[in-house]
Amino acid sequence: MATVAKTRRATLGRESVREALVGYAFVALPIASFLIFFMYPLANAFYISYFDWGALGKIESVGLRNYRDLLDDFLFGKALKNTLRYALIVVPAQMALGLGLAVIVNQALRFRTFFRAAFYFPAVAGSIAITAVAAYILSADGLLNAGISGVRGSEYNHPWFGSSDTALESIMALNVWTTSGTMMLFYLASLQSIPTDVYEAAAIDGAGPWRTFWKVTFPLLKPGHFFVAVVSVIGALQVFDQAFFVSAGSGGPNYSTMTIVLYLYNTAIEGFRFGYASALGIVLFAIIVVPTLILRLLFGRAEVS
Amino acid sequence: MADEPGHDLPPAPPVAAAQQLAAEGEVAIGAPPAGIPGQERSERVRRVIVYVLLFFVSLLFFIPFFWSVTTSLKTLPESVGFDLLPDNPSIRAYRSALSAYDFDRYFLNSVFLASVVTLSTLFLASLGGYAFARLRFPGREVLFFLVLATLMIPNELRLVPVFQMLIDFPVAHVNLLGTYQGYFVINLVTATSLFLMRQYFLTIPKDYEEAAKLDGAGYFKTYWRVMLPLAGPALAAVTILTFQGTWNDFFWPLIIFLGDETKYTLPLGIFQFRTQFYTQWPELMAASVIAIVPIALIYVFFQRYFVAGVTAAGVKG
Repeated sequence: MATVAKTRRATLGRESVREALVGYAFVALPIASFLIFFMYPLANAFYISYFDWGALGKIESVGLRNYRDLLDDFLFGKALKNTLRYALIVVPAQMALGLGLAVIVNQALRFRTFFRAAFYFPAVAGSIAITAVAAYILSADGLLNAGISGVRGSEYNHPWFGSSDTALESIMALNVWTTSGTMMLFYLASLQSIPTDVYEAAAIDGAGPWRTFWKVTFPLLKPGHFFVAVVSVIGALQVFDQAFFVSAGSGGPNYSTMTIVLYLYNTAIEGFRFGYASALGIVLFAIIVVPTLILRLLFGRAEVS
Repeated sequence: MADEPGHDLPPAPPVAAAQQLAAEGEVAIGAPPAGIPGQERSERVRRVIVYVLLFFVSLLFFIPFFWSVTTSLKTLPESVGFDLLPDNPSIRAYRSALSAYDFDRYFLNSVFLASVVTLSTLFLASLGGYAFARLRFPGREVLFFLVLATLMIPNELRLVPVFQMLIDFPVAHVNLLGTYQGYFVINLVTATSLFLMRQYFLTIPKDYEEAAKLDGAGYFKTYWRVMLPLAGPALAAVTILTFQGTWNDFFWPLIIFLGDETKYTLPLGIFQFRTQFYTQWPELMAASVIAIVPIALIYVFFQRYFVAGVTAAGVKG
């Protein structure tokens, strides 16, 4: 009896050691990749940011000077202001449009799947291809101006991306259009989790669709609003592709499309000012990490419902 | 999941909701209960309003794509006019984009990059996801927390350190900047995909594996023969998410390949073409259509997996 139990325990022990070893082997490559290309760079970015670091390597330790220099940097100020202004407009617009579209495709409609597919489509197509299409439509002699000329009855030739008054606003409009489909999907998932008897109760109480939406649906979507807002803010603060494309990387005209990430790219890749660029990256990280943490901690535990 | 309380984080929403959506289809808000007077007329009015609204919104979403396709079939002089359809539709712009401006090469590069990254992500994410979902090993929770933590590190912060690492890769001391290997090595697998796979494996009943175990199958065989075939929807979501992400990626190809045109992907090629030949619209639109159509096709056929994948990715704007 005792020997049988002992051998079984021994087999179990060997088996669990084997299981653990196999477990480590199976996660080894992903974990190594995350350590080498995420965790180490995170730590290294802090390290590099304390140096004057050029194309050929470390020049000298400068302490916090890179961070202090950011405060007086005109271009950084411009990039920060542009990015914040961009987020301030794009986030609410994306949320409103995403919610509107989600409510529409959540109805019992004919061709519902088709409409949903259509609204989400711009988010599927790549940012650069879409921006190329937008550059064509918003060019001085493009489709939009042709439409405006038609309505006004006189020639209108405003270069939307080429003028510092409208370049950033045009990128805002473009991205609201392309990403509201994604926000729609988030809201749709959230809408689907509202039990239908809530609507039945509202209908029995005689509430019309408008009232039902504002008094019942909208408040019940609170976790959904929050999730979409955070995702949208994080995305908005990282805007890069469109600004890079329309300005050919310069952030022009007149720095109107200079965003934080574009400035970071230019500082690092064009200017080889690695220390300064790292400090910039850390500052951006500090701005983004707050909403990201909220997203992960809050939504890692609770359901959107 | 139920037998290990406290160990597993529930899926990050709206992942769960989206997975359910992908699995079961969706519920629409039905017609209100019958028998309420005055409801019918207002319902009809509401319907008309909704359809009119939908029509205009859909137009707004379609015109740009329609316009890019028709322009790509036009000649250059025609492209500055506003005829809805070209007089003599021709694929001249496509031919010139593909042969004279090397978009054939960029297309193949995009296919190559997206395929390799998708395959490696599929394998590593499912293997790791299986281990995190099923195998017991000391430190599992800590390591899984590390996976989730990588989701919080933005690309931009990694730009400088990763760029330096690629120029002089640690230990091996090779320059990976400007090489495909450089792109692959930093894109082996993503935390999102691993997370998605693990969550899916947790929902599969353990009976299947027990049966395999009784048959004497080892861990890898159980993963390969039993778990993978059961994980179809999750694998599809990861495939689409990764392929689309790599296909459309502009940031890392720009950093790694800029200057070496033989390695350009479609987004890089489109950017360069636009910078060099500012107003050659038909070719630019042809190139954009070439970049959009493959993803659009995948989207049309595998729509429901897009929903699950995108909602899981969350942070990707």
